[in-house]
Amino acid sequence: MEVISTKNLKKEYKGSGFSKERITALKNFSFTVNEGDIFGLLGPNGAGKTTLVKILLGIVYPTEGDASIFGESIKNEKYKTKIGYLPENHKFPNYLTGEQVLHYFGMLSGLSNAQVKSRSDEYLKIVDMEKWKKTKIKKYSKGMMQRLGIAQAMINEPDLIFLDEPTDGVDPIGRKEIRDILIGLKDKGKTIFLNSHLLSEIELICNKVAILNKGELIKEGTIDEITSTGNKHVFTTSDLSDDVINILLNQYFATLHGKNEFIVNSDSAESLNTVIDILRKNNVNILSLTKEKNTLENMFINLIEQQN
Amino acid sequence: MIFKTIISGVIKEAIAKKIFIGFFILSTLIILGFLAFVGFDSVEGIATMAGDDIKQLVIGFEGFMLGVSYLLLITFCLIGVSSIIPSMLEKGNVDLLLSKPVSRGQIILGKFTGGLLLIFLSLVYLIGAVWLIVSIKFGYWNPTFLMSIIMLTFSFAVIYSLVIFIGITTQSSVLSIIINIFLIFLICPLLANRETVLFQFITNNVVQFIINFFYYVLPKPSDLQTITVKIISGEKIDSWQPVVTSALFLITFLSASIYIFKKKDY
Ligand SMILES: Nc1ncnc2c1ncn2[C@@H]1O[C@H](COP(=O)(O)OP(=O)(O)O)[C@@H](O)[C@H]1O
Ligand SMILES: [Mg+2]
Repeated sequence: MEVISTKNLKKEYKGSGFSKERITALKNFSFTVNEGDIFGLLGPNGAGKTTLVKILLGIVYPTEGDASIFGESIKNEKYKTKIGYLPENHKFPNYLTGEQVLHYFGMLSGLSNAQVKSRSDEYLKIVDMEKWKKTKIKKYSKGMMQRLGIAQAMINEPDLIFLDEPTDGVDPIGRKEIRDILIGLKDKGKTIFLNSHLLSEIELICNKVAILNKGELIKEGTIDEITSTGNKHVFTTSDLSDDVINILLNQYFATLHGKNEFIVNSDSAESLNTVIDILRKNNVNILSLTKEKNTLENMFINLIEQQN
Repeated sequence: MIFKTIISGVIKEAIAKKIFIGFFILSTLIILGFLAFVGFDSVEGIATMAGDDIKQLVIGFEGFMLGVSYLLLITFCLIGVSSIIPSMLEKGNVDLLLSKPVSRGQIILGKFTGGLLLIFLSLVYLIGAVWLIVSIKFGYWNPTFLMSIIMLTFSFAVIYSLVIFIGITTQSSVLSIIINIFLIFLICPLLANRETVLFQFITNNVVQFIINFFYYVLPKPSDLQTITVKIISGEKIDSWQPVVTSALFLITFLSASIYIFKKKDY
């Protein structure tokens, strides 16, 4: 089932001050997220990720286009009871304690007093914040704030959770903890929409990824699809003789990396096997053969550089 | 349910920011000062007074208290509620609020109602206490004095609608305090007495028309206070115009705030 779908979304902001120039934060953006997806939206700062999430939540209005959540237009507020949201750099009223934050925002999500009370401890436990629940949040560290923020986003047991840069400003251990919480959510079958400029984050937990740059969707797919480079095969071998190198270069247009590694582009098993035959005939030992994969990071950097 | 949460949120914020306690202390000081003042009065003098004189005295006291508390109160309330909207609009806070299943109109109305409730409860304490003291002391119970709680709350609601409007458009609490103090203590009293003061110097018809225009359009705290005093002393009210035009001001600015809030990106 489609949980989120957008059609030709466009967002222009008014420029700052008196300038008439308008900032285009999102261009012709269409995509879908399905039930159970852990969807990662990746892009450099200023790409338009937050803008997209805010449009989906009715915080910012699209200049053009339309979006629907749970199959209904976002113009109708009802879907918001089934949504959790952790804003980027969220700022809860700092005179509240952790527990009171959950209570206040839980009630605002439409829960009853009794529901909030009974769930509050459960979710504080999930994010490991139980022992801090009576402490005013102005004393919390950034990591603790993020964990509380995630508990806040879960308290109404939403079907869809938006997390905008959930690990921003959090130390590596805190990051790992947050990641574990998200993996826990994934195992519960929740649909998660994650905004991040951190690739490792997305690579570790998302099953679908979209890359956004300057408001444009430049690539979308599963992590495998995005990182796959087509049909490049990497051979590592014993030392290659000059003869073999010549054949590889002239007949197979291989790319050589020293005497023990080369890459060939082959689109069929047959042509790949003829390369293997040649190597074997020339007494070259094949140490390993893998399909080349880009890391998401390489992919990302390449794509962004191509655009700029 | 969600609407109620927004209202109680305002009250909790006021408690956390010590607005309530500040109000309580200020009111208590006024009450104690009043108690001391009333205590000094010679009891024999009063004992010899006839019923009607006591009634006049009580109403006189009540009217005087209203005048004293009014200025202190309005200023304090103004400072108290001026940060409600700006703090709500802070980045990272407003986003989360707007992601909740509640309409933007309800959010503003909730903040409005919460602020009024705050003022109302504080007035009940102050006016209620003054009323009890005067009544017990002089043995004359004038329940219409309690009407001033409603009138003062209304008077404040008018100001508060402007505070909300300035908060939504500029996100500045200082600006709303300055503009409102300027209005309440300078512009509005001048406009209310335009015929006896301003028109002595200004004889040009066009300028007089413009001044009249502003008088009718702007809130009328001074006139409302005069009406309140008349209500508690049982005098006839010549014109309800200040109440009606102030109510229109309130409705206009509250609606405009909601309209602008609904349109904006956050
Ligand atoms: N309220 C706003 N007014 C004007 N410009 C904005 C506003 N919010 C975001 N922008 C601009 O829109 C672009 C996208 O911003 P944003 O969605 O926050 O990107 P990201 O979350 O990917 O870092 C940026 O150029 C940013 O400066
Ligand atoms: Mg962002």
